[in-house]
Amino acid sequence: MSRILVFFLLCAVLVSAQGPPQKAFPWEYDMHDFPNGLRLVTVPADFPNVVALYIVVSTGSRNEIEPGKSGFAHLFEHMMFRGTKRFPPAKYDQVIKEMGAARNAYTTDDRTVYHTTFSKEDLEKIMDVEADRFQNLEYPETVFRTESLAVLGEYNKNSQSPTRQLFEVLRDTAFDKHTYKHTTMGFLRDIKDMPNQYQYSLEFFDRWYRPEYTTIIVAGDVTVDGVRAIVDKYWSGWERGSYKVEVPAEPPQTGPRTGHIDWPSPTLPWIAIGFKGAAYSDTEKDQVTLDILSFLGFDASSDLYKKLVLEEQKVDIFGPSNPDRVDPQLFTILARVKNEADVPYVRDQVLAKLEEFKETPVDAQRLAGVKRHLRYSFALNLDNSEAIADILAPYMSLRRTPETINKVYALYDEVTAEDIQRVARKYFQEDSRTIVTLAGGSSQ
Amino acid sequence: MKKLLFVIPLLLITLACGGPRVQSVEMPGPSPLVTFRIVFQAGAASDPAGKPGLAALTASMLAQGGTKDLSYDEIVNRMFPLATRVSSQVDKEMTTFTAVTHVDNLDEFYEIFRAMLLEPGWREEDLRRLRDEQINFLRVGLRGNNDEELGKEVLYQAIYEGHPYGWHNAGTVPGLESITMEDLRSFYEANYTQANLILGIAGGYPSEFLDRLNADLATLPEGTAAAAARPSPKDIEGIRVRMIEKNTRSVAYSLGFPIGVKRGDPDFIPLLVAQSYFGQHRTSVGHLYQRIRHERGLNYGDYAYIEYFPRGMFQFEPDPNLARPQQIFQIWIRPVEPETAHFTLRLTMYELNRLVNEGLSQEDFENARGYLSKYVNLLTKTKNAELGYAIDSQYYGIPDYNSYLKSGLAALTLDEVNDAVKEHLRADNLWIAVIARDCEALKAKFLSGDPSPMTYNSGKPAGILEEDKTVEKWEIPFTGASFEIIPEDRVFE
Repeated sequence: MSRILVFFLLCAVLVSAQGPPQKAFPWEYDMHDFPNGLRLVTVPADFPNVVALYIVVSTGSRNEIEPGKSGFAHLFEHMMFRGTKRFPPAKYDQVIKEMGAARNAYTTDDRTVYHTTFSKEDLEKIMDVEADRFQNLEYPETVFRTESLAVLGEYNKNSQSPTRQLFEVLRDTAFDKHTYKHTTMGFLRDIKDMPNQYQYSLEFFDRWYRPEYTTIIVAGDVTVDGVRAIVDKYWSGWERGSYKVEVPAEPPQTGPRTGHIDWPSPTLPWIAIGFKGAAYSDTEKDQVTLDILSFLGFDASSDLYKKLVLEEQKVDIFGPSNPDRVDPQLFTILARVKNEADVPYVRDQVLAKLEEFKETPVDAQRLAGVKRHLRYSFALNLDNSEAIADILAPYMSLRRTPETINKVYALYDEVTAEDIQRVARKYFQEDSRTIVTLAGGSSQ
Repeated sequence: MKKLLFVIPLLLITLACGGPRVQSVEMPGPSPLVTFRIVFQAGAASDPAGKPGLAALTASMLAQGGTKDLSYDEIVNRMFPLATRVSSQVDKEMTTFTAVTHVDNLDEFYEIFRAMLLEPGWREEDLRRLRDEQINFLRVGLRGNNDEELGKEVLYQAIYEGHPYGWHNAGTVPGLESITMEDLRSFYEANYTQANLILGIAGGYPSEFLDRLNADLATLPEGTAAAAARPSPKDIEGIRVRMIEKNTRSVAYSLGFPIGVKRGDPDFIPLLVAQSYFGQHRTSVGHLYQRIRHERGLNYGDYAYIEYFPRGMFQFEPDPNLARPQQIFQIWIRPVEPETAHFTLRLTMYELNRLVNEGLSQEDFENARGYLSKYVNLLTKTKNAELGYAIDSQYYGIPDYNSYLKSGLAALTLDEVNDAVKEHLRADNLWIAVIARDCEALKAKFLSGDPSPMTYNSGKPAGILEEDKTVEKWEIPFTGASFEIIPEDRVFE
């Protein structure tokens, strides 16, 4: 395809004189299900030479239902780099060296994602190696014990971050039964016990590393037929599993909760104000409405940000968090306050703003501005093959189809001022609120 | 190679002396996005005496402050529906403003961006907020909450003490506190000049837009290009250790020394191969990572560098436009448990000694060369990075980085790599930065020279155990005078 033609195609899809692009996910894609339950999504994109492969396993810390096993999905992500009979670690690394590939992985509440970006001629080799480790991972207990220490090392490097600790305590305080009670890193006590959990690690692999929980995304300089043939060759022998998880439902919270962290060294105080939020949905409006509300109320363009950060300058970091998750997570407002004495004031300002959303309809122009922002920020991120695959990955763990993106962005467009009042009244109740503060020695 | 030409779109470089157009890197192409990188060749090394942080604060006043006609709040509100923002980056020799906009919104965005660059508002309330932000970044973000990045910056400060690179790019707390609005205006007038400017633009902008941009930037003072000659950093005598005493649960290390090699020098590519072999950033293919993390589980990762790479704990690829005429060789050891801290430092020095004395094997060389010649494709996978690398190539006087590296690697031999290692790397006369609790006790351990045997939570291959017997007694030639212990609250003050 000529570059000029590509340009006009892109323009046709993305550029419209009337306003933001109409279809949120503008790329043509192919979605194919293999008999074993594995799903393949191929996005041929005309960024030359480079290919991004994202393997999404719909297993994260949400699946860690047994006591004492928090952090295991993440530990397992580490183990996946520990080799097979055909490709022991040294040989695996050799392959990666030869390919000059950038590869890594991450784990979060609902998913574990293995990603590699490489030159297109290496597609088949990469698929061979990846399919092998997903089906034939093998590691001795000694190696398992060593790798579990690297996870402790990761906890150590993270332990310097107040926001990580803040979210750890916020979740632990807010949730009682649901596994969102712990972060993806897990509780430190469980991390320290990881070296003793070799047997459980084998069971974990057997349960979750199965085709019906896995979606392969290939984006970049590829053809649909070429990718499908390669995936068929290396992945179709993978056997379907049978395990199903029952994640405990979180009972309704019955009163406001608080927590506090004494930080061991000088730092600025933080406050996190959380409410039980909504699950991801591309058909029901609650979660998208909370998203829009989070921008209206607490983003850098909001009146409250202007007041606290720009005018009064009592706060230097301020913003909302409302992650898309399988089950309801927390809707959180986070602030770093310059002076500890102002923490109650900042809390009251945030709570007053939430009350205001219940009583006063939002300005129509501002609502339109947020919708336009959401469309363009999505479009601005799609500027290379890796970004396309990266953006698809969470949606694959939630609904296993790129179409959910178009549905959810269409849903954003439908949100009205009345919806915002409705969700504010439904979710911002004192009984479902958790506030955690953090303060340390004087930072001056 | 044919494909490579396809990757690098039309690249036009115009020199300032030829006419009304400023020095630029232009990459028009088939994208609905327009990417800007506006680089001024002046940065923290141009901070005047007593005012460290002035370059950074000036850049923040432009990127996160108001213009003559718009308050910062108004700018945020007008940019918000466009989903774009302007960011700034300040290094020793360069200040960069970056933004990406959808071509739909180009005019609307540019009207604001132009005013931000050319008509700053210099408002007191912006200065108060941004000064606070910069001080909090140093005191809280870096010193308080990030031992790893702190360790790296402490290393740079130790190496460059008394040199124009001797303070963090964000400055020092007293420096920031002393900066006045007049200082900011003077710095802007002296350094934001046509002579210092490299305009980088990529994407689907109309050609008339470029004329408008050039005409606007031509209203900047002409200025004269700053001479980039910098003094050499001081010689390091022996092993020097700067320890930062801090209430932290683990021990972070950074080690290094200056090297006389930069991008474009004959030994740059040979040394890059050695560095990639020894400690390719955030990958498991590096030797140090294999020895320290993979085989022994001592921490989360271990890497080496021959160019400045800030924020490495947050990103996999380096940011462009950190070009400098001087660089250091640096080793980054991620936090280790206090009880294995001595052993880990010994293992690091043992491996550095082996690198310096034995060099790379033919196999190591082939692997690292093969890796880099493909990995370079990934460095420029976004337009923004491609543009940034092209600007850096202009700074260093080399062809586009991709071709420069690939052709250099193709012609390279093992001997050239090992000669470069011998010539530029060393395991003595270096600085070690340590962030730890109870530095006195750690110092006493280091000085005692007592063995630091390892015990593992699992069986290890005989080769590792045998090697540990050497490592646990590895002599690092410390002396009592090697050490400085600095309380956390004195860093950046």
